[in-house]
Amino acid sequence: MSIMEYNGGSVVAMVGKNCVAIASDLRLGNQALNVATFDKIFPVTDRIYIGLSGLATDVSTLRERFRFRVNMYTIKEEREIEPDTFAHLVSSTLYEKRFGPFFIEPVIAGISSPSRGSKPFIAAADLIGCLNFAKDFVVAGTASSELFGIAEGLWEPDLEPEDLFETISQTLLNAVDRDAFSGWGAVVHVITPDRVITRTLKGRMD
Amino acid sequence: MEAISHAGTVLGVLAKDGVVLAAEKKVTGKLLDLSGAKEGGYGGSGEKIFLLNSNVISGVAGITADANSLVNYARTAAQRHLFSYDEDIPVEQLAQRLCDLKQGYTQYGGLRPFGVSLLYAGYDVHYQFQLYHSDPSGNYSGWKATCIGANNGTAQSLLKQEYKDDISVEDAIGLAVRVMGKTMDSTTLGSEKLEFAVLTLDKSTKQPHARIYKPAEVDALLAEHGLGKKEEDAEMKAA
Repeated sequence: MSIMEYNGGSVVAMVGKNCVAIASDLRLGNQALNVATFDKIFPVTDRIYIGLSGLATDVSTLRERFRFRVNMYTIKEEREIEPDTFAHLVSSTLYEKRFGPFFIEPVIAGISSPSRGSKPFIAAADLIGCLNFAKDFVVAGTASSELFGIAEGLWEPDLEPEDLFETISQTLLNAVDRDAFSGWGAVVHVITPDRVITRTLKGRMD
Repeated sequence: MEAISHAGTVLGVLAKDGVVLAAEKKVTGKLLDLSGAKEGGYGGSGEKIFLLNSNVISGVAGITADANSLVNYARTAAQRHLFSYDEDIPVEQLAQRLCDLKQGYTQYGGLRPFGVSLLYAGYDVHYQFQLYHSDPSGNYSGWKATCIGANNGTAQSLLKQEYKDDISVEDAIGLAVRVMGKTMDSTTLGSEKLEFAVLTLDKSTKQPHARIYKPAEVDALLAEHGLGKKEEDAEMKAA
């Protein structure tokens, strides 16, 4: 089987009206065996979150690599990194390993700083850094086909934060229920210009 | 060493609840563009006092270009430690990394040594607040209060007389400002010539918090200690 399916897991992000949401399941497995609860979404700054689906060891390592590079950026530039700049940082970090890649599909969600208009931003990349700047939603992981289908049906533009939360939650929960390698609970972060609301969802624990 | 003895003074004072760094800037003048430093960023002009990591700040004296290179190395070293061990680099280890680099340039290669002395002010969970000094030879030592750059002898003896163990960080700030006032030309003491920084522990999160003063904050600090620039024109108007 594919190395990208070894641990399982899926991530999705969506754009709303002056907000973005990013959600993932919590499963960490060893092929068919469920092992642990594993959060795959990490804050990069107060306004940017990254979700990493794929091989769990690479999830942890890349999370630490990005922390390194974002810290260096922040200390040298004396300001927080913007979401689109961070997306390019992700892309170049992954392309560095073009011929021996990290088995990760990252999903980035954030809001740009007030001085740049507080614009919502989402992006996804493949394991060697090809960026996808969608205007509606991005998906990744073992349930990505299911996520594509449901998101296409449920998403509409300019959803308010509460409505966006409902939409992304239903998209994720129903998609992972159709995939054996994703599930075991879910977590959703809704990012607005002034706060981030994190909610854990009750899902089928199978 | 010659370059360092002519460079702007940097002094550091260790308190029981914080560390203070004060530095005299040499690159000043009306034409200098400080607009970036006024609002954004960490404060300071990026000439003498630098943030190395969330738990360490440093003051440099000597050849500025060499200093920038060393500061960059230190920042990368601190992040490498964070990457490997998922913890903030202990202050002494950071000093050691830089000193190992500096010593290499005295023994191998045929390259000249870095013409910089640094003061490292930091906090870690192992030894709490610490102050270290390193020189171009790669030698380092821990201090309660010390000084590098021009007039460091005068400042050092002033610090020796007035320093008391267990002083609070507010008293340390006062001490640093007074000693700087005496070693520098007090009539021109102002935010264009002085950089100031304090490292304390945030009360709620218990995490180290570094604060490099912005120019307006430096002026306020000097006014508080009665060492601000005397406004001759204003006095004339009042009379």
